[in-house]
Formats: sequence, C-alpha cells, structure tokens
Amino acid sequence: MRKIISFILGTIVALNLSVSVANAAANEVRVAFFLEWATPNQEAKVKKTFDKALGVPVKWTNFATGGEMTEAMLSGDIDISYSQGLTPFVNAVNAKAPIKLVDIAVIYGMGGTTCVAAKGIDKGNASSKLDGQKVAVPLGTMADYVFKETMRVVGADISKMKVVDMNPEDGSAAFVNGDVAMACLFGGKSIKAAKEKGASLLTVKEAQDAGIAGIDITSVTNKFLKENPGMVRTFVEVTHEANARYNDGKADMNIIAKDAAMDLAGTKKQMGGFEFPNAGTMKSKYMNKGGILMTYLEVMGNMFATSENPALKDYAAVVDTSFLP
Amino acid sequence: MITGIITFLVIFAVIGSILYGQRLIKTEKSDAVFGNPERAKGGVHWVIVGSSFLLLSWLYYSWDIAKAFYPKSANELCQVAKVNESLLSLKYLFPIEERQHKSTALIKRENINIENKIIIIQNSPDLKDKDKELFVKLLNKTKRTIPLLTDEKLLETETKIKIKDLTTRITWLTEDFQKVSYPPIKSIEEENKRIEALKKQLGWGATGMEVPPLPESKRGLKFHTAAEELNKISDEFFALRNHNPEYLRLLEEIRTEIKNYKDGLEDSQELEMTFIKEIKKLGQRIEYESVFPPNALDEMEKSIREFDVVQKIEQGNLIYIDMFLFPAGTIVASGPTCAEDGPGRWLPKPSDTFRIFGDLLKPSVGFKMIPMIWYEMMGVNRIVGFMLPDWIADLMPGKYPVHSADGTVKPNFKSKVLDVVTGEFDAFKIPVPTGHIWDSFLRVFLGLTLGIIFGVPLGLFMGLNRFAKGFFDPLVELYRPVPPLAWAPLVITVFGIDNLGKVFLLFMVSFSIMIISARAGASGTQLSKIHAAHSLGASRWQILREVIFPNSLPEILTGVRVAVGMCWGTLVAAEFLAGTSGIGFVENVARKYMQYEVIWITIFVMGMLGLLFDVTIRKIIDKTIPWRGKG
Repeated sequence: MRKIISFILGTIVALNLSVSVANAAANEVRVAFFLEWATPNQEAKVKKTFDKALGVPVKWTNFATGGEMTEAMLSGDIDISYSQGLTPFVNAVNAKAPIKLVDIAVIYGMGGTTCVAAKGIDKGNASSKLDGQKVAVPLGTMADYVFKETMRVVGADISKMKVVDMNPEDGSAAFVNGDVAMACLFGGKSIKAAKEKGASLLTVKEAQDAGIAGIDITSVTNKFLKENPGMVRTFVEVTHEANARYNDGKADMNIIAKDAAMDLAGTKKQMGGFEFPNAGTMKSKYMNKGGILMTYLEVMGNMFATSENPALKDYAAVVDTSFLP
Repeated sequence: MITGIITFLVIFAVIGSILYGQRLIKTEKSDAVFGNPERAKGGVHWVIVGSSFLLLSWLYYSWDIAKAFYPKSANELCQVAKVNESLLSLKYLFPIEERQHKSTALIKRENINIENKIIIIQNSPDLKDKDKELFVKLLNKTKRTIPLLTDEKLLETETKIKIKDLTTRITWLTEDFQKVSYPPIKSIEEENKRIEALKKQLGWGATGMEVPPLPESKRGLKFHTAAEELNKISDEFFALRNHNPEYLRLLEEIRTEIKNYKDGLEDSQELEMTFIKEIKKLGQRIEYESVFPPNALDEMEKSIREFDVVQKIEQGNLIYIDMFLFPAGTIVASGPTCAEDGPGRWLPKPSDTFRIFGDLLKPSVGFKMIPMIWYEMMGVNRIVGFMLPDWIADLMPGKYPVHSADGTVKPNFKSKVLDVVTGEFDAFKIPVPTGHIWDSFLRVFLGLTLGIIFGVPLGLFMGLNRFAKGFFDPLVELYRPVPPLAWAPLVITVFGIDNLGKVFLLFMVSFSIMIISARAGASGTQLSKIHAAHSLGASRWQILREVIFPNSLPEILTGVRVAVGMCWGTLVAAEFLAGTSGIGFVENVARKYMQYEVIWITIFVMGMLGLLFDVTIRKIIDKTIPWRGKG
C-alpha cells in the first residue's frame, strides 16, 4: 500500500517538473516543408546553403498538411514551418497557438489549388447541378477556403451538398471513380489526375478576377522567435535570395524538381503559377495595414471561426514584418 | 463550484474506500492464502477508487481544480507570463536559465565554423591556389572582427551610456515594482476606459475565451504594466549594436574585398561564387548578433537577475498555485494574448467537455450539420425497397407496360411488383436512428455480423474437413496476418467512398478472427463426446449441431469479443479515409480545427460504445455457455 502511494506521488512529482536542459543558442533549426510543392529555396536546402548561413545544421521534415505542422510546432518539435497554408495558420492562431507569421512563402493562382468538377458541370450550371451531390474537400486546408469561395462565385449552396472530407490524393481517386461530382484539391499530381475526368470550375484568370488566391506563409514558434531572432532573419534572407535567383531565371530546376519529388515538366508548370514577391512588395502591398495578406487573414479568420475558437479581433498581432530583409 | 464539490466528494470516496478495504482485509478468512481465487472476488470499493482516481487525474491535469478553487489565477498567471515573455530575449543572453552566455556560445560556434571552412577550402581540389589564399585571408579577417566586438576598450561611449541607461531603467522598475502604489494611475479617463474594457471581458474558459488577457486584479495590473516597460527596454536593447568604428572599418574592408572579387568573377565560376557568398554570410551572422565584451553587460545581467528575484517574490502564492495546480505546464503569453500550454491545452477540462458534449448532442446543433445520435422518420416503403432485390420483378410473368397511343401508362401486375420491390409506394413512417454515433455503430455491427456469418461456417468446415483445410488454408493464412489497414489505400478505388468500403474493411478484420476461432473450436472437440454421439446413432448433422458447435461456442464467442475490439480500432482509420459521418470523421475534422474538447468527446464515446458491445457479448456468453470452464 505504502509503496503504491509513494509510487503515485513520485509519478505526479516527476510529471510536474518538466525539466528542460537547454544550451544557449539553438544548436539546430528544425523546419517543416511540403513535398510536391516546389519552391526556389529547395535548391538552397539541397545545397546546404541554409546550414551554412545559419551556422548550425537545419533539419527538414516533410508534412502532409499545414495542420500537422502546427501540431508539431506546439509539441516543440518544429521551429519554423515553411509554406504553411494560410488556412491552417488561421485555425492555429484562432486556437491561440503561440506562433507568428514572419514571411510570405508563395502566392499562387488557383493552378495550385482548385476545384475540379465532373464533365457537364460548369460555372453556369454549377449552382443547380451540384445540389444534393457529393463533393470531396480536405477540410481545414487552403482547398477548403477555395471551395467556399468558388461556391460563392458560382452561386451554389454549400448546405445542399454532401461534403466528404478527403485528402487530395483520396479525393482525386474518388473523383476519377465518379464517386464525387467535384473534388477540391491541391498538389500537382492530384490535380493532374483529376483533370483527366473533368475540368476546373474556374480558370486561373476567373479565380484571380474573383479575388481568390492562395497564400502560403512562413510561421515560427513564439519561443524560437524571441530566443533566436538572428536565425529567423537569416532564414528569411536565404529564402529571399533563392527566390531572387529563381525570379532571375538562375535557379537549378533539376535540383528543385528532385527535392520536391516531381518531374521537371511538372515542376516548371507548377512554379509557373507561383509568385515569390520580394520584401519591398510584401511590405507595401501585402503585409501593410489593409494589405492583401491582412485582408485575407481577417476574411479567413471569420470563415473558419468556431464557437470555441473565434476569430481574433486584430490579426496584426500575429504578423511580424521585422524579419524581412 | 460544481467542480469543487465533485473534487471533494471524489477525495472522500477514495479515502472512504481505502479505509473500507483495509478493514475488509482484517476480517478476511485466514485460509484465503495467496493464489486462492477467493481473494480476487468482490471489490466494488476498489472500482470506486479506480474510477475516482481517473476522474481526479483528469480534473487535476486539465487544470479544472485550479479553475474551481482559484478562478482568477489564470488571468494573474497570464500577466506573469507577459513579464516572462518580455524577459525571454534578454534572459536568453545570459546564463540565467541557460549554461552559457549567448555571446560565448556564438563565438565558440563561429570560431569552429571558420576553422572548418578554412580546412574545406584548403582541401578543395577545384579551387585555384590564388583563390584559396584570398578566401583564407578573408576568413581570418572575419575571425579578427570577433575580438573587435569583445574588446572592452573599443566599446563606444554612446553604447556604454545606452546600456547604462537601460540598466538603470530596469533597476528603477525593480524598485517601483515592490511599491504598493505601482503602477501609478495615468489618468482618470484611461482608468475608466480600462475598467470599461474589463467589464466586457469573459472569464477563464468561457466559450471562445481561453485565458482572459486584460489584468483583472491589482497584482495582475502590476505585472502587466511592468511587462509593457520591459518590452520597450528589450526592443531598445536589441536595436543596439556594438558596432564600433574599428569593427565597421574592418567589416567594410572585408565587404569591399568580397565585392571586388565577386565583380571579377565570371558566370561560369559557380564554385567560387558559392564560397565567397558563404564567407559573406559568416561575417553577417556575427554582425546580426548582439555580441558584447565579456563584462560589458554584467550590470545589466545583475539588474535582470534582481528583477527576476523581485518578480518571483511579488508573485506570492501564485508561484505555488502555478507549481501545484497547473501541473506539467503553465499559462504562456504571446504578445497581448495568453494561452494554456501543456495539458491544459490538449486535455480539456471535464466541465467544458461535458458542456460541449451536451451541445453536440442537441439534434439541431450536432457536428457539421449531422446530429450525434437522433432519429428521423423513414417510410416503411424505403426499408422494403432496400430489403427486396429488384430482380424479383423481372422474374414475374408478362412484360412491363408500354405507353399507349393516348399518352398514358397503364400499370400491370409486373410493374406493380416492381414498385413494391423498389419501394415506390405509400406507407406509414417509422422512426429510425441516425447521426454520427449510429453510423459508426451500424458499420461495426454490419462488419462484425458479416464476419460471423461467413467466418464461422468456414472455420468449422476447415476444422472438420481435410479438403477445406487444405484448400482454404493458403488463402486464409496469407491474408490473416495482413493488418486490416493495409487494405485502406485500395478501398476508395475499389469500393468507393460510401459505407461499402468501410464495412468491407471491418469485415476483413472480423472474418479472419472468426475463421481462426471457429476452426480452433471445431478441432478442439473431445473425441470421446463425438464417439458417444456416434454410438447413440446421431447423424452427421446432429453431431455438428449438438456436439461440435456447442463445443466450439466458447472459442467462437471469445473470437467475437476480440473482433469487436479490433473493429473499433479499424473503424476510426476507415472513417478518416473518406469522411461523411461517423465518430472517426468527427475526430478527424475536430483535429483540423484544433477542437480538443471534441476530440476527447469522440475518444470517450468510442470507449463507451466499445464497452457496451463488450458487456453485451459478456452477457450473451454467460447466457449461452454457462458450462464454460467447468467441463
């Protein structure tokens, strides 16, 4: 009996003392990224430019969704999430997760994230043809946002559809099988497969005109930001250098394609739809007060708010532009 | 309030049960030695202790006890967290919570980095000797910039004054902080504004409010104001750079040399370009960091340490509340907002969980527009239409009616049968269950039933017949060890996204278990019993029905129990695949929106449903095979 009690008390004490042994200055940087999502800084990643610039090893881990990136950041296993979608970021900050947005990674037209509808359904008749149909949507991702916005544009009623929560790969397979009338997807391979049996509901141009665009961002845990501001600055700087190299047409596309686990043609096509703005544009057009990113944050924040995790009053509190070069 | 009462009740229950247990041991028969099964009988009081312990752990680690007894503590700890956050960057420079000065660690690391780079350059076979010489020279120069930053004599007066100034501000803050009058009231207008904002603030754990951020108490206000001041000091300090003229001169020299070299490079000289860029980055890294002479910040470190001590004293009993009632985590601040960090984040409080569960159970709310469990009115015609296969109508004599010249269709017998088998007739409506919980339940039930219907006869057959054993053995043995989820990637492509695929996965699970258990049961029948039946003139069918089947029932029913558990395990994963409804779907979506309460509710519901299945089967076992273990 006494042994049991002492064991229980011992366990409680051990659990309560979360012992942390830390050395001054981080001795590695842990970064999250996506496969099948080609970005110029993957060249820097492969060539170890990041490691050399930061002076410590950089550990890259690939994730399937931005939500998983947040989970890993909360558990303390990831310091920086590169190219996290704005939707999972908004979900995280609505849930008061201590992470901050420091940089815009990619701005993409709807070539990268789109809703593919079956043959016979187009922009004009979608509002009636999609009623009562099943649609595959990866909930809580950028594709979810695109789904909601696209339906608003074509005037379809989401509450009359049967939304099936599926990862892009599964959604694409279900669409090809004819199980769903429409699939909202991201990722080059999934979209390519789906387009064999259907077409995008909105063209890239139409989506652009309707104000639908995707923004992927770089987010950092609050703790890492406070303790290693220099490293965050260097990380953002190296990324911007790689972006500049790509924008000048100097990037080695073979390396990027290989690292993104895609073929060269697919990589070029995907990156053709991407935009990597420089720091000046970001500060003047996107991250300023009333800028594009800030508007998006607010719109999305309210779109995905739940009763337990309501939208923030001011999203400027989770954006920090001081790390841009 | 309720949580507080429950906490006390639970503690009393635990103590009472333990005392009762102690007394029971004393009154126990002395012949109940160790190993006697009598000693494991009864023990409801230990069930109370066990469940109370579970509840108590939940209340404790979700910080619900803290919320019940100190409802204001989260708000006050939030203010303390703001101070800690504002000190985070400054403290990180010094060996307060770390082992080394940040500058020390940095210089050590960069010296190693420079040495390594020199070795790499000297060993690089593709570089020209001239370039190597230049690179090493540049690196050595970069190395020489470090002592320029750490030399006390070179530290500029202006920087010194600024450091002194910031140090004084921290010291003053430390002094003011201890006074009762801190913070001074700025103006009545602002004070009113503050009180007005406070009135609108929701409490800890209210819907949509994790931790109220505005200071509610005097102590909280103190910390809040200090945090604001410290943030300013921290920002000013990190804007400060120890870039004395000597350092800047050398840096400029290095930069010019690098630039000149870069200008002279041709596009093809990629390797040289990479190296020179890396050398530049190395210098930059040192430039960005706050490196100061070893003793220049001593005063500042002392003032921060002093403030840290004082703020810990000022926290008073909060420190103990934090230590004992916020186990394994605390409240953290991130700018103006605060959040629970640790189990408080991912382990929702029982009170919140039950409140949200109550909300979810309301049929009008549900989850994603589907209720958790409710009923809907369904016409009997639809049930009949589902049960009867459509081809019955095709078997009827005659032909389906053809439209006549006047544009009408006259139904005949055959078409009337078709209407019945497809459910196209009017009928009264009956309530049928619907909702997430029912959907999951139905899937498990169907998978299990199909597994039993196909698995048990096949298993018995394999246990009794040489051909069946030989023929099916390779098939069964090959597929049995495959984890059911290994089929998952195929399910969507082959069976689509409806119930068929999910039920198929569950069927695969229960089928193999039922085969194995039925087979083991059949081959384990005592030969003497079969011989006895034979000599009494029983037919084959009678032997199977009256001897072999009852004998294998214990094995089969144990198999069912195992299969139920496995089915629940597979169900969640199956519902992750293509989610439209079901407990697994709810959990997966809740995860994406970080609704930890909902996640725990689903876990709880699955536990309860699993238990329900298990208890039912246990009852069936007791009813059908009372002789088990006694033969």
